[in-house]
Amino acid sequence: MSTNPNIAQRHKNIISLRDVSKAFGSVVALNDVSLDIRRGEVHILLGENGAGKSTLVNIILGAITPDAGTLEINGQQIARQSPANARQQGINAVMQDLSLAPSLRVYENLFLGRELTRSGLLRRSEMQRQAIRDLEQLGVPIDVDMPVAGLGRAEQQIVEIVRALGGKPGALLLDEPTATLNKEEAGRLFALIDRVKDQGWGVLYITHKLEEVRRLGDRVTVLRDGEIVATHPINDVSNDQLIQEMVGRSVTRLYPEIRHSPKDEVFRADRLSTVDGRVRDVSFSVRRGEIVGIAGLVGSGKSELVRACFGLVELATGVLRIGGTVVERPTPRQMLALGLIYLPQDRRGEALALDRSIAENISLEALDQPQFKILGGLVRDSAVRATAEKLADHLDIRPRNIEQTVSALSGGNQQKVVLGRAFTRERCVYVFHEPTAGIDIGARQEFYRVIKRICEGGTGVILVSSDLPEIVNLSHRVYVMHRGQIQAELSEDEISDELIASHSFGHVRNVDSEDREGHRFGETPLEQSSAS
Amino acid sequence: MLNNLILRFRRIFVNVGALPFLLTLLIIFFATQNPRFLSETNILNISQQGIYLVLISLGQMMVLVSGGFDLSVGANVALTSIGSATIMATVFQASPDQATLAILAGFGAAVVIGIGCGMANGFGVSYLKVNPFIVTLATASVFQGLTLLISQGQEVSGLPKLFVHQIGSGFVLGIPISVALSAPVIVILYLVMAWSRYGRYVYAIGSNPNAALVAGVRIPMNLFATYVICGLVTAYSSFLLTARVSAGEPLLGAEFPLQSITAAIIGGCSLRGGQGGVGGAVVGAIFVTVLANGMDLMRLGSNHQMIILGFVLVLAVLIDRERAKLGFVSMSAKVRELSAARGRRQANTGAQTSEVQ
Repeated sequence: MSTNPNIAQRHKNIISLRDVSKAFGSVVALNDVSLDIRRGEVHILLGENGAGKSTLVNIILGAITPDAGTLEINGQQIARQSPANARQQGINAVMQDLSLAPSLRVYENLFLGRELTRSGLLRRSEMQRQAIRDLEQLGVPIDVDMPVAGLGRAEQQIVEIVRALGGKPGALLLDEPTATLNKEEAGRLFALIDRVKDQGWGVLYITHKLEEVRRLGDRVTVLRDGEIVATHPINDVSNDQLIQEMVGRSVTRLYPEIRHSPKDEVFRADRLSTVDGRVRDVSFSVRRGEIVGIAGLVGSGKSELVRACFGLVELATGVLRIGGTVVERPTPRQMLALGLIYLPQDRRGEALALDRSIAENISLEALDQPQFKILGGLVRDSAVRATAEKLADHLDIRPRNIEQTVSALSGGNQQKVVLGRAFTRERCVYVFHEPTAGIDIGARQEFYRVIKRICEGGTGVILVSSDLPEIVNLSHRVYVMHRGQIQAELSEDEISDELIASHSFGHVRNVDSEDREGHRFGETPLEQSSAS
Repeated sequence: MLNNLILRFRRIFVNVGALPFLLTLLIIFFATQNPRFLSETNILNISQQGIYLVLISLGQMMVLVSGGFDLSVGANVALTSIGSATIMATVFQASPDQATLAILAGFGAAVVIGIGCGMANGFGVSYLKVNPFIVTLATASVFQGLTLLISQGQEVSGLPKLFVHQIGSGFVLGIPISVALSAPVIVILYLVMAWSRYGRYVYAIGSNPNAALVAGVRIPMNLFATYVICGLVTAYSSFLLTARVSAGEPLLGAEFPLQSITAAIIGGCSLRGGQGGVGGAVVGAIFVTVLANGMDLMRLGSNHQMIILGFVLVLAVLIDRERAKLGFVSMSAKVRELSAARGRRQANTGAQTSEVQ
């Protein structure tokens, strides 16, 4: 086990927080929190959304100043922390918000703040060379000369992580890093974290995925409502106990039983192909009262497929049939009018007007309905507020103030606002696109119960998700996509993690022996952890 | 054969942008309208007219890249003109045989005023954290007011002949002196924006201030410096321009805010910041100057010219947007190929190892 000499002979705790408290107005974000991150360990921070995890990291980084408590780096108390100082101290963070400059190239972003210069001028070719080397270590073929805005979200995430690792060695803070990564990419990230840990880095890893806790963690701390519930060495605690500590109540069953009594077909897509080529000749259908899952790796085309159905991605050929109406060039307005609603993956970017209130967001689509109008052009505010309040109650949006700006809500509650908007009208098909990304267990459980209600009420549901357990447990039928085409359609008994995974890679597994390509499934990094 | 040509054209278009093509088309068009357009006199004319806009567009470009605006460049020009001319004239009057001293004094005043204007803008944007649009709108008003106060609305004449004849209309090695004096500035700004750490930070701040913050960039300081540089370069340009018009003019430079922003945007700056460069801004300024010059030769009135300039600006932005889209698609296609090739290679090696097991 090699140890980086630079950080070998230093204090055991790289980062130490003692009795830190922070409140925003009357909302207490952190209360008397103490936490330390040691060298050579991965310390998992587990907690629901709104528990205070991001606030904690921001205090370490110096983006937020605490109201009380101390921050120690390498045993030295820091009076006024700032992001520039943090970098100097060897603290490198990858947050959920994009902190790359979109118009700068990949290698320029990688070296931002630590450019290589010779007599004042930038050494561009040297930086490009090093960037290529660093990225190859991760096994990712990203063009270092490409402006970051041209990369996909997963690739951008990887660039951010590589950038963090290029900083001064010390601590690595990761906030839900696998949110946009597929299994393969996540596996590579975990291998990298192992290596980095061996070199003596201290890693703080924020997640709500229990399988990651098992795979990576040495110690795990549970944060709830701004307070530390407990810190455990990883082998001393069970998953059930962790869940209970996170949620404050015992969560017996995450996925509800959903009755499957499909009725007539409500939606059909025939031979869809998109202009950019990411979807090729895809056909699928959905019936009333059933949940159709669409699975596949990042890049399989599942995202483009549903967006094309809603008119957000341009179709080259193909026809949609919804409730009897034939549509060739769908637009969002048209599809909404026909009863299909799409809830986007990028909640904050595409589903919400962040600066506006809950009430405005919920009523946004319904304003042309007669009960909200006065004299045809003006808005009947009382009706809007009544509807918004009813829906906020129904969905248990917290805090319950409908005049509250949406940007201040947690991810789970923002999701509820989006749902609220969907509920302002009768729909015949709901399309959910990665609906539980970034949402904690408690909110997910509530969300699944909503899906159950929707489905059993006779509506068709299309669920696009990278979360395999979610797809497996909720769907009645599953289409697996691979490289823009439907690789397989699985129903009821055929639906399993393994089968979906193997189809996602484009292979078909023989039940008796190894498949033809020589891969053995069931040994991805996430599942290895249950064996260890 | 035609297909090949089109592909070649597209690749050049993506890399270099629409502007050089448009400029070439424009030159060809004007040449056909008036044979005098391509004459030596006229080309000299264009370079002498345009060099002032080139300098100011560079300063404006830097501010745009940082994510801001500088609407006060016009008022800066006026204030510098009056300020430096007043000092120059006063010193010259006091010692009429020391023209050089007077010119240097005037230059010193220009530098001080330029930096002062820049600092005012920088202070408002970086430390008061007010929107740059509002800050520079306000300072434009303040600078213009100061100008009228100092000058009482009158021009300031009595400037040394050396100044007016040499810097204003003189030549050195066949190049106008104003152009020769501007060339080093252009080169320095290019080095700063493309090859210095500070330049990289300006792009980062304009592209995503959050990213810059997280990377440890000191945003207020870098923004402040950007506005100071813009103020200084604008004042420098004003000094040269004052020589050309041979007097300090209180209403000089009114057209520069719109023209410099147009030139910078035509040259590739995005209104949201993070994009643009010296080369683009220079060509953009040349474009605007050539357009005005060509329209003059065609005897188009200034009202018509304003309308045309407006259309040209929108057209340039639309064309550039198409180019950006093309650029991403062709590059991402290349990466997809690479990753597919890699994936196939990995799959092969994976098959080998598990067979060994």
